[in-house]
This record gives sequence, structure tokens and C-alpha cells, in this order.
Amino acid sequence: MPLSANPSSRAVTARLRGVHKSYGPVRVLDLPELDLHAGQVVGIVGENGAGKSTLMGTLAGSVHRDGGDIEIDGVPLAAGSTEAAARLGIALVSQEFPLVGQLSIAENLLLGRRPTQSKRRILLDKAALRAEAEAMLTDIGLSPRTIGVGREVRTLPVPTRQMIEIAKAWGRQPTLLILDEPTSALGPVEADMVLGLARKVAERGGTVLFIGHRLDEVRKVSDRILVLRNGRLVADLAPAEATEERLIREMVGGEISHGEPRLFSADAEPYLTLRGLTADGLGPVDLDVRAGEIVGVAGLMGSGRSRLIHAVAGAQPATAGTMTLAGAPYAPRSPGDGATAGIAVIPEDRKEQSLVLFAPISANVTVSILKRLSSHGIVTPKRQRGEAVKITENVHVRMQSVDQPIGSLSGGNQQRAIFGRAFASNPRLLLLDEPTRGVDVGAKAEIYELIERAADDGMAVLVASSELEELQLICHRIAVMHRGRVATILDHNEATKERIMTAAAGTSPVPDSVPTNGAGH
Amino acid sequence: MSVQPAVSPQSPAPLAAPPPKASRPSTRLLRGLAESPEAGVVVACVVVFAVIAFNAPTYASIGNLQVMGRDLSQTGILAIGESLVILTGGIDLSVGALAGLAGIMAAWFNVNAGLPAPIAILATLAICAAVGTWHGTMVTRLNVPPFVITLVTYTTAQGLSLAITSGTPINGINSLFANLSSHYIDQIPVPALFFFGAALVAWFVLERTYVGRQIYAVGGNREAARLAGIPIRRRIVSTYVASAMLAGLVGMLVIGRMNVADPSVGPGWELTAIAAAVVGGASLFGGEGRILGVAAGAILLEFIANGLLALHVSPYYQQVVQGIVLGIAILLDRVRASYFGRGRR
Repeated sequence: MPLSANPSSRAVTARLRGVHKSYGPVRVLDLPELDLHAGQVVGIVGENGAGKSTLMGTLAGSVHRDGGDIEIDGVPLAAGSTEAAARLGIALVSQEFPLVGQLSIAENLLLGRRPTQSKRRILLDKAALRAEAEAMLTDIGLSPRTIGVGREVRTLPVPTRQMIEIAKAWGRQPTLLILDEPTSALGPVEADMVLGLARKVAERGGTVLFIGHRLDEVRKVSDRILVLRNGRLVADLAPAEATEERLIREMVGGEISHGEPRLFSADAEPYLTLRGLTADGLGPVDLDVRAGEIVGVAGLMGSGRSRLIHAVAGAQPATAGTMTLAGAPYAPRSPGDGATAGIAVIPEDRKEQSLVLFAPISANVTVSILKRLSSHGIVTPKRQRGEAVKITENVHVRMQSVDQPIGSLSGGNQQRAIFGRAFASNPRLLLLDEPTRGVDVGAKAEIYELIERAADDGMAVLVASSELEELQLICHRIAVMHRGRVATILDHNEATKERIMTAAAGTSPVPDSVPTNGAGH
Repeated sequence: MSVQPAVSPQSPAPLAAPPPKASRPSTRLLRGLAESPEAGVVVACVVVFAVIAFNAPTYASIGNLQVMGRDLSQTGILAIGESLVILTGGIDLSVGALAGLAGIMAAWFNVNAGLPAPIAILATLAICAAVGTWHGTMVTRLNVPPFVITLVTYTTAQGLSLAITSGTPINGINSLFANLSSHYIDQIPVPALFFFGAALVAWFVLERTYVGRQIYAVGGNREAARLAGIPIRRRIVSTYVASAMLAGLVGMLVIGRMNVADPSVGPGWELTAIAAAVVGGASLFGGEGRILGVAAGAILLEFIANGLLALHVSPYYQQVVQGIVLGIAILLDRVRASYFGRGRR
């Protein structure tokens, strides 16, 4: 669909009425009324889980909205159809780069359509394909000559892929261009190019939804800034009103109470020490975790939160730096090494990384201690079952019996069972990645209790989370990551949301250098 | 390449990473050849042929070449169809048994039902197309694993062949079948031309049409293809239809060649077809592989199978040797792929 010819018009491009979406009992998006105007870059900011991605997916058709009407240039948009969204001129640049690695850049740029100049309907027009691909790259300010449109996409570095993805969307001449954190994988030069592109689309009369994680960028590029919190639109600001402080205040809402301060003696010897720990996209990181201490890891998406957990667990190789456990050197080469050293990991994705959903609870909770349960390599069902009962009682899993498939439990109960399994191997260090994702509010509190119990039992706990409230609630200290490094470490009583967000956004003076492979030493 | 969240402002951004270092055109060509799996298979074909021909004088004779050409019409054509399915990330285990059943059906239509041969051929092809549509529909609509749904057809087709014939071959089929299979054009057996024709058409569709490129996209990254508005289901179904129809063609060429429809023929060929596709560089994960490689893979397997006869290797050891050769070929290909970083996740 061609761009509107009249850039000065403020016609409504997208009209949203009563659009809402829930996952289970949680309403993740609820927008009674929202209009997006032609010729504008609309910035969208919000915490993780504020509903930014859901809004975007609803518009692009990858998320099936529960109700409400969306009109694009007056034409109703069917729910949950990417084809329908594409037909109405909506183009999405997501963070996941849906590119086909085996095909060339040119073919990816024109994926699913034919070159506009080509008269051939069925036969591939290689010359036109190449010409149009080169024009698209030139259009967004890249040099097709240095990149080479014939190269296979899988041989390209990530920033280039991101730019290809943007060129792909640009080439469709979208009425509504949605950019989801488009600069998170980019260096400053390309980031500026992307901001320039967003402006160019708006000048041509298109509308751009710019979902940003760097507030300075959003303020620089946007004509209007929307703030989402808990799925609701809480502020609709002109650039002049949208100071960084104002945005952060609107994003986090009122401060919630901290609960009682967690007591902890700071003199204890560190159990886990990291010195200059570096891995792909991480570090160098210096950090200590004492026995009985809960240390939180906060940071934006891509800041290295999960990578830190993975590096300590042995799931991602460290390229430099040292780790010690209780003073002894620790250099894991696989997650198995971590387990042997007394580390238990509770990964981010329960369904993919933790559980065999259709297998009974008993098998799921004993899988990591089978060696201890067996005599001469043989595990009897009776013994396994007995141990499973003990494990699940220990963490209060609500269930009918240990024989039911673990997939039949609620998310909170599944997560409790996973904690039980982790505790069963008597770990000294507990690594948690998003421990309450997909868990309802009531169950969250119980999981916090389990984490606190682990610390009270003398475990050192390192917990990465995108939910600031939970880190504020349970952690003695919070390490805030920014671009692979620890930007700052805040004590429990000084860890306000504003301070965490400010450090995570990189606004405070933070050393801002390159975390590359093998750097650090 | 790693995600590099930040780049220091001073250094120019490494956006346009230079193409793989290759200064002189000659080294680039060599590297390109080494990086492509197809080149390896073609070279292997030449080497294997030369070595066997040197040791067994009858191997390169016109008569033997004609035999190999007709053999190729069987597993080779199946391999072409199979590779289309494999490109989408699927697998078709039914092709051997379906080829067998197609021969039986064509013969039955012709002899027992008294239909003219051309009608029998068209009816058989139509049934095969329906079977392929069924496979594709089950895979795309109900998410049945391709392995499972085509295994069902494998068993059923094999059983149907026996049930229709009560285990005895059908004689007296129309001479049109034999004409298709036994004729030569300039000493080239017609079935071999069918193989080269099928390979050519498949190559053309895959490399030179939008539909073909979209099949690669569907196999390489289904989500990307979906988001780009490519009709994924239609593309996948079409590969199963093509595979089943090529199996039907093979079945009819076989009864023409033997002049009788034997219900025990067919099952087992699908494994050779899959092996040919994999040896030829097709990835079972989808999205990767070219028809040139698959055709060369089929030719290589035929060269080896026939060569073992020519070299008088004991029939008891022939399969062992074939297995070892296959293993070495795949090992070399993996080593090459990990060395050059292609085909690696």
C-alpha cells in the first residue's frame, strides 16, 4: 500500500477501540480508545510486561486480540491474521529477525513477494530481485556493495541482520511501521540510521510505532510518547513534557512498599565470587554472593541478565575472568560441572527447559537425584515415588498424587515442584532466572517464601528477573546490568525503582565500553 | 556472530562485515566449491566411476550404462520427489511402497478393469496425487508428524498391493507400458530420460520460480515465511503431491520394464531415495539442498550398487559395503560443513 501523499494531514491511520487481551486471568492489554495519526512517530515505553509487545502483536496480527475493533485507514483489521495486517500496510520489525538463513539477502528482502519492476509472475527474475534489493539497502542508507545482496543471511552478524529486517519492512512501504526495540542490537551509527528512517517514514505520511528501551532515543525520535503500565495507557505525552524523570515515574507508577527490610550480615565471607567474568555478550563482571544472601540481577532485555546466570551455571562458556565457590576455583565446562559443584539452576522457561510435561510428578522431581536413589544403578518405582512424596511435601505442591502428569498442575505448582527438585540435591548456590514468569499473583508470594527459605537455609541465591517489584521485595542487594556489565549494585533499602531503571537505561554515568569476546584481561 | 549490545562510538560500526576473506578469484572459486556440498558429490561420482571402470572392464560398457540408466529411473526419480519434501523439513516414507502400489493399480486398471492404458495411467497418477494431498493436509492441518502419516501409507500401500493381487503378479499388461520403459533414444533408455527430465523440472522450479524459492523459505524458517505472507500450507502440500506423483510414475516405469506387475516390488526404495537426498547435501531439518546434489547423490549410489556387481563382490557383502560407503560420505560431509561453518546451527 503506498504512503499517503499528504504528509501534513493529521488523518487517523489506526483507530483502536476497546482492544483487550488476557492470558488466563491476567489482562495484559486494555485500551479503551487510541488513535494513531498519519505522519507521526509515536514512541511507546513501559516496563517489561507492560503490554508493549502485546499491543504490537495485536496490530501486526501475531497476537489474537480477545475483543475490540481496530481500523487501519478506515478499513477494519481482522484479529490474529498476519496476512490481513500486511495487506492493510502494517509492517513489523521484531527483535527476533524472522529471516531465512539459507537464502540470500536479496531473497530475504523480497520474501513473499515479487520485485515491483518485474513483469514475470512465475519465473524468478534474478536481475530485478537484485536491483530492487540493492535499491532497498541504499534507501535505508546501507551500501549494497560492501554488504553484497547475494550473501546468505546466516553468514551475517546480528546488527546487519537487524538492518536487513528493517530494510525488508521499509521496502513494503508500510502505512504503519512498527519497530520493536529496533536499536537494541545496533551500535550508535546504525541506531542513528534507524531513527532517521523512522522520521523519514513519518515525513512521507506514514505512521511509526517506535517501541523503545532507550528513553533518550524515544524522546529524540517521537512526536508523541505513550506510556503503558500493566496493559493500560497511563500517559500520553508531547515530547516537551516527556522528560526522562517523568517517563520513568509514569512507567513504574507509585512506589510500592518494600516489605520489611531484609536483615543480613554483610561481613559474611562471599560464597560465589566473580572477577572479570566475561562471556559472549557479557562482562567483565565482578560480583560476590554470600551464603544466605539473595542477590538480584536487574536489567533491560539483552542487558546480560540471563547470560550471567548461564555463565555461572556452566551453560555458556566463560571467555575470561575467574569464578570461585567457597574460595575454591570453579571453571564449569558444562551444566553438569555446575551441578557437581553444588549449584542448582531453575531456568527461565519452565516448559522448555525444566519439565517433561506429560511425565508424572514423581519422575520430574527426582530426575536430578536418581543416582542417589539408586542402588547399583537400579531405581525402584517405590523408592522413587517415596522420595517424590517427600520432595513435594517439602515445598507444598498442591496435587492429587505424585503419579499425575506434571503438566496438569498450575504454573505456580509446577514451579514449586521445580524448587523441590532443586532443593533435593542439597545445593549451596541457587541460580534463578525469571522464577515467577507465568505464575499468578498468589503463587508468586509463595515462591518468594521458598526463595527466602533457601537463603535462610544457608544457600547463596542469585536471581535474575525482569520484574523489579519482586527483586525489591526479596533481594538483599540488586545488581543492575547495562550492556553486559554491572552498572551499579544497590542495597535493599536504596533500590528504588527509579534508581534501578535509571541505571538499567544507562542514563547514569556508567562506563560504556565494548563487551566483546575475550576482552577483559 | 554474537550479539554485541554496544559499540564504542569511536570505532566504525562493524555493520558491513566483509565477505569471507578471499582475495584472488581462484581461491574464492576453490573455497566456493569446497563450501558447497554438491561439488563433493559430483567429484565423488567421477572418482567412483573411474575407479570401478578401471578395475572392471564391463562396467563402462554401453550395455551396463543402459542398465544403470534404467535403475536410476527408479530410486533416482523417487529421490527427486523425496528431496522436495525434505526441503520443507518433512520426510516421505511412503514413496517405495506407493510406487509398488501404483504399478499394481495401473496393471489392475488395465488388465482386470479393462481400461485403456492411457486412462489407467491417468487414473493411477490421480490416485497418487490424492494420496500426496492427504499427506500434506494431515501434516499442515493436523500437525501429524510426516514420519508417522507417511509410514501409515507405507504399510497400507504395501498391504493393498498384496491384497489386490492375492500375492501373484499381474500379467498381460498393455504394451504401452513396455514401450515407455524398454525403448531407447540414441541408445539412451527412455526411463533415464524421465529421471533427467524430472531432475530438470525440479531444478527449474526450485531455482528459477518464486514458488520454488518460497519452498526453501518455508523449510528454512517457517515463521519468517508465514510472516512474509507465503502460503505455507499450499507449498508444503505441493511437495507431498509431487513426491507421490513421481512415485506413481516410477511404479509404472517398473511394470513396463518387467512387463509384469509384481506386488513385492517397491518397499525399501524409499530408504535409497532418502539416502540419495542426504548424500546429495539435503538437510533433514529443511531449507537446504539442491537438485544437482540430489541427482548426483542418486547417481553415486547407483554407481556403487552396480559397481559392486561388476567387481563381483559377494552378494552377502554388498549391503555392508554400501552402508560403509554411505557412512563415510556423510561423515566427510559433516566434517566439511563444520569446517566451513555451513550447515551448522
